[in-house]
Amino acid sequence: MMKQKFKSAKTFLIAASLIIAFVIPLITENEYYLHTLIISGIYILLVLGLNLILGYAGQLSLGHAAFYGIGAYTSALLMMKLHFSFWLALPIGGIAAGIAGLMLGFPALRLKGPYLVICTIAFGEIAHQIFMNWESLTRGPMGIPGVPSPGEFSIGNFVIDFSEKQVYYYLVFIIVIIALLLNYFLVRSKTGRAFVAIREDQTAAEVIGVNLTFYKLTAFLSGTFLAGIAGSLYAHYIGFISPESFTLGESINILVMVIVGGMGTIIGPIFGAVGLTFLLELMRAFADYRMVIYGLVLMILIVVLPEGTMGGIDILRRNLKKPQKI
Amino acid sequence: MNTFISQLINGVVLGSIYALLSLGLTMIFGILDIVNFAQGELYMLGAYVGFFLIAVLHINFLLALVISMIVMGVFGILVERFSFRPLMGKPHTSMILGTVGLSIFLMNGAILIFGAEPRRVGTPYSDIFVNLGPFSLSMQRVLVFAVTAALIILLTLFIQKTKMGKAMRACAQDLTAARIVGIDTNRIAMLTCFIGSALAAAGGVLIAPLFLVSPVMGLKACLKAFVVVILGGLGNVPGAIVGGFIIGIAENLTAGFISSEVKDLIPFSILILILLVKPEGLFGKYIPEKV
Repeated sequence: MMKQKFKSAKTFLIAASLIIAFVIPLITENEYYLHTLIISGIYILLVLGLNLILGYAGQLSLGHAAFYGIGAYTSALLMMKLHFSFWLALPIGGIAAGIAGLMLGFPALRLKGPYLVICTIAFGEIAHQIFMNWESLTRGPMGIPGVPSPGEFSIGNFVIDFSEKQVYYYLVFIIVIIALLLNYFLVRSKTGRAFVAIREDQTAAEVIGVNLTFYKLTAFLSGTFLAGIAGSLYAHYIGFISPESFTLGESINILVMVIVGGMGTIIGPIFGAVGLTFLLELMRAFADYRMVIYGLVLMILIVVLPEGTMGGIDILRRNLKKPQKI
Repeated sequence: MNTFISQLINGVVLGSIYALLSLGLTMIFGILDIVNFAQGELYMLGAYVGFFLIAVLHINFLLALVISMIVMGVFGILVERFSFRPLMGKPHTSMILGTVGLSIFLMNGAILIFGAEPRRVGTPYSDIFVNLGPFSLSMQRVLVFAVTAALIILLTLFIQKTKMGKAMRACAQDLTAARIVGIDTNRIAMLTCFIGSALAAAGGVLIAPLFLVSPVMGLKACLKAFVVVILGGLGNVPGAIVGGFIIGIAENLTAGFISSEVKDLIPFSILILILLVKPEGLFGKYIPEKV
């Protein structure tokens, strides 16, 4: 009975937020709100990706910004240097990030805990150094200005201009919905259950016949593919990319969104992504104090709410399963 | 050949700093099981304390070094009490984000208090040169190595010869068992943070006259220290020392012979390679003594 009630409330909330997200651009003309919403949408993609790797498969990565960057650079350069259409550059950006994700996945296969984290940090730093120093391609620290927007798309007399914020918002919105649906079905499939088995107990998972190599690599591949898509959307929206956007700090932000939202659930990290994006924007009022407060709040939040703010039932269940410390 | 030797000397100097920074990192991991992302900030704050003692209060360099180590040691105890202890026993993800939060807090706090612009620290030792055959190097560089060596010897003596050191080794092996035999593990944790933070501060003060002091100096150094501790074996004290020198030398030789652009790429590539081939690090993790 309680569960039923909870479920219907949840469905109602999801439906309501989807409708709100859909109609917002129709009611507001405020560019700033739209901008923040588009950025939130891009973060949702990043967070969904990291959530697959960390929240479901249990592999902590602090190199997510590297894949975000690889997607952004690949897609921007394909469009600018080789004159690819956006609709081709976008998936290739994702695939390039996914391949890089596999490259990280291989060393990560054998690693756990702090070793894995430091390995992913090193991977992120290497990618950052490449963006910084491969000047003939990436223009180094100066970045690449003038990344084209997806352009116009016409059906008969009807022209859709993607350089308009509202139109771009719907593009991001649709991609987020597709990603969400794929995510939802993935984590409820055999693959998703294998991820969770690995997260909960790697050895036990292996014993019951879960192919660790295959599923860990799948997690890395799918998670980083989403990051690449997000990178491409970011590059063609902002129009300027530089190594500064794809640093360890960015990876940390993405991780904070996943953890504070509540990893291992789908709604939690989305809540984290939108919440943190808006919070960081609101905190601009604090100017210089902004990051100091951010650090302090993070420290406190981790101690008070180590499992994030969302996913009550899920968290409870997981807590019961957790081996007791002596 | 000349380039080789002068880069080797630079590498040893930089390696000393990495070793000091990594020692604290590896000890804190060995005993508290926490990967401290704020280790670089302790080093940065140590450098700032040194800066104020030397440039503002005109205190003698070596005295400033000692004072800064003590000040930051006490700060390390506060960090243990208010940041690490609440994190103990939490999942790795939480511990990492907790110290990341601390690092963000300290770095931006430093920007707020000291300003973002880099500062220069002058010492008389920078103008004295020591001649070694065809090479001359500033007394400051000799001092960096000499002080590091002295601190390492003192630390080793402390860990091996004193009762406290023995208790630390016990805690590193098994915290629960150490508690059972009556060791006050909280005190040992505080002591570890005192030492770790003081060593990082020593690194900061020593490097201050050679490079500039700035609030963001800690982050980069901390990432290098991660490489060092993995290279030497996480939680392994001799490993951190040897690893520090290896990374420092490798970095400078790359800068001298290949190009300074790839200089920062080398440590991280070494790290990925080590993790692929020998994840337990050069000194293995089955050495019975982690501290």
